Amino acid sequence: MSAIVASSPGHLSRLSFGGILRSEWIKLRSLRSTAWCYAIVIAVTIGLGALYSLNTQGQGLTADDIRGLAVGSSTLGVNFAQLVIAVLGALMITGEYGTGMIRSTLAAVPKRVPALIAKCLVFGVATFVVSAIALAGTAVASWLVLSNNGIHADFFDGRVLLPLLGAAGYLALIGVLSLALGAIIRSSAGGIAVALGLILVAPLILRILASVTRAVWPVNVSAFLPNSAGGLLWAYTSGPTAPAQSGYIVLTTLQGGLILGAWVIVAFVIAAILLKRRDA
Amino acid sequence: MIEAVGLTKRFGQRTAVDDVSFTVRPGLVTGFLGPNGAGKSTTMRLITGLDRASAGTVTVNGKPYAEHRAPLREVGVLLDAKAVHTGRSARNHLLALAATHGIGRKRVDAVIGMAGLESVARQRVGNFSLGMGQRLGIAAALLGDPATLILDEPVNGLDPEGVIWVRNLVRHIASQGKTVFLSSHLMSEMALTADHIIVLGRGRIIADAPVSDILAQAKGAGAVRVRTPDIARLTGLLGEPGVVVTNEENVLEVSGITAAHIGELAAHAGIVLHELTPIASSLEDAYLALTQDDVEYRSTDEGSAA
Ligand SMILES: Nc1ncnc2c1ncn2[C@@H]1O[C@H](COP(=O)(O)OP(=O)(O)OP(=O)(O)O)[C@@H](O)[C@H]1O
Ligand SMILES: [Mg+2]
Repeated sequence: MSAIVASSPGHLSRLSFGGILRSEWIKLRSLRSTAWCYAIVIAVTIGLGALYSLNTQGQGLTADDIRGLAVGSSTLGVNFAQLVIAVLGALMITGEYGTGMIRSTLAAVPKRVPALIAKCLVFGVATFVVSAIALAGTAVASWLVLSNNGIHADFFDGRVLLPLLGAAGYLALIGVLSLALGAIIRSSAGGIAVALGLILVAPLILRILASVTRAVWPVNVSAFLPNSAGGLLWAYTSGPTAPAQSGYIVLTTLQGGLILGAWVIVAFVIAAILLKRRDA
Repeated sequence: MIEAVGLTKRFGQRTAVDDVSFTVRPGLVTGFLGPNGAGKSTTMRLITGLDRASAGTVTVNGKPYAEHRAPLREVGVLLDAKAVHTGRSARNHLLALAATHGIGRKRVDAVIGMAGLESVARQRVGNFSLGMGQRLGIAAALLGDPATLILDEPVNGLDPEGVIWVRNLVRHIASQGKTVFLSSHLMSEMALTADHIIVLGRGRIIADAPVSDILAQAKGAGAVRVRTPDIARLTGLLGEPGVVVTNEENVLEVSGITAAHIGELAAHAGIVLHELTPIASSLEDAYLALTQDDVEYRSTDEGSAA
């Protein structure tokens, strides 16, 4: 407290998008909750994958079965990991609203939208990398366990590798979608509830509706929800797809990915418009 | 330089800032006073674009805050509530803010030093005391070495050493030709720190004047205690417009007239006085009088603010 004025901030310093990205990266890695959630994602994905592989026997499996097994065991943890990622994604921004940090953020980036873009990019990329590490770890664990059980799976086969990459992309997109929902809702409890509601509860309700009414539409609506459309990104698809039952919509992997992408973009645009309009 | 013209902010039915126009000049410390809920914090959020104005405009150094290429170097702001994520360390908080503008670690460590936070800079902000949080907020405001400093109740929660630090800091910054705008509830603190004062009441400007004028006004507003055996006659003599006499257990309190004038009136009429004591009016009294009765000051206000 001795000196009143010390080194100046430098005369070249000014607001830039690169700077905002760096700022969001510092924010991401300086919170303990981020490290915890990512550690849980990695541990659970690898653990579940290895456990699943343990209980498989190699007798009478076709090459197709083995590839399906490789994908299935490696991605078993994704269903759980997505919940952790969704919560973390919502907290990325609702945590700032809850603590008042958002005002510091928006005072530094008064045009606002670049801050949201940077947040989404940094969180999306970080989640993709962490998920890819988790899936690579599961692939290695599954390969070891499966080999031990006499099953020799080729994880570098495109039909195995692509779904694993797809799973990492899926988790990143679910994370960004939850972040955008959090930006719309602004409260942590509300943001998490809406994100998990969309991922977990909405498909469940539609399934119940389908079985109660015996109608086709709940199934078809459900196909467009983020988790079922996006789930195609990491589903194992064997050779020719089975012919669809009449009336039921069947989406390709590409269509599924595009639909999840559309969810993310729509949520982001709404979040950006509201961020621009509302008082911080 | 901060210039507000017709600035208005409504929250639903409630008008928090009501058609306010003022200028905060560089090279001076301008104090912003007003009772709770007057709209000081809201005005400061409007200046930094955190709240959207319902009407009117406000510019900082000629442009709306958001239009500047390096906002943190234009304006440093301390907001009323802690605007910090509780899970992050003080240093990481400052590093993240600095990164947006490419401000380096050296400057971050410098403001940590200025605020006296070296020993706690790596602790989570959630564990900070009120004063430590306040120091962190001021450190954040200083990051960009801004041309304009806006501090919402900066001494709130600070120890005496911190209060003096803030006082010297803002005086020093203003002496460099920068603009300083700080809010407070304490008139006495403002009398020591500010050159100019803007008083807000219920969202409107009640006074906008140099501190010296407001101090002079405060002196004139003092009351006089008078004791006399002839209360009825003296009270009659004092029945001029603007003079208020209250009688409490045969001790009169007279305001709106000087002790000397009372003494002269009494001498002319041959009234015996047993006591004639001017009661020093505190600055806080003057300030309270200001905020209770806005009409008295409106003419001066319109003269200087329009
Ligand atoms: N986000 C908001 N939503 C609704 N009303 C608000 C909001 N922010 C402020 N107000 C209202 O606006 C008025 C002015 O509040 P403000 O916080 O600006 O006053 P203040 O002068 O800073 O008061 P204090 O001295 O207590 O800090 C208050 O009546 C307050 O209730
Ligand atoms: Mg306030």
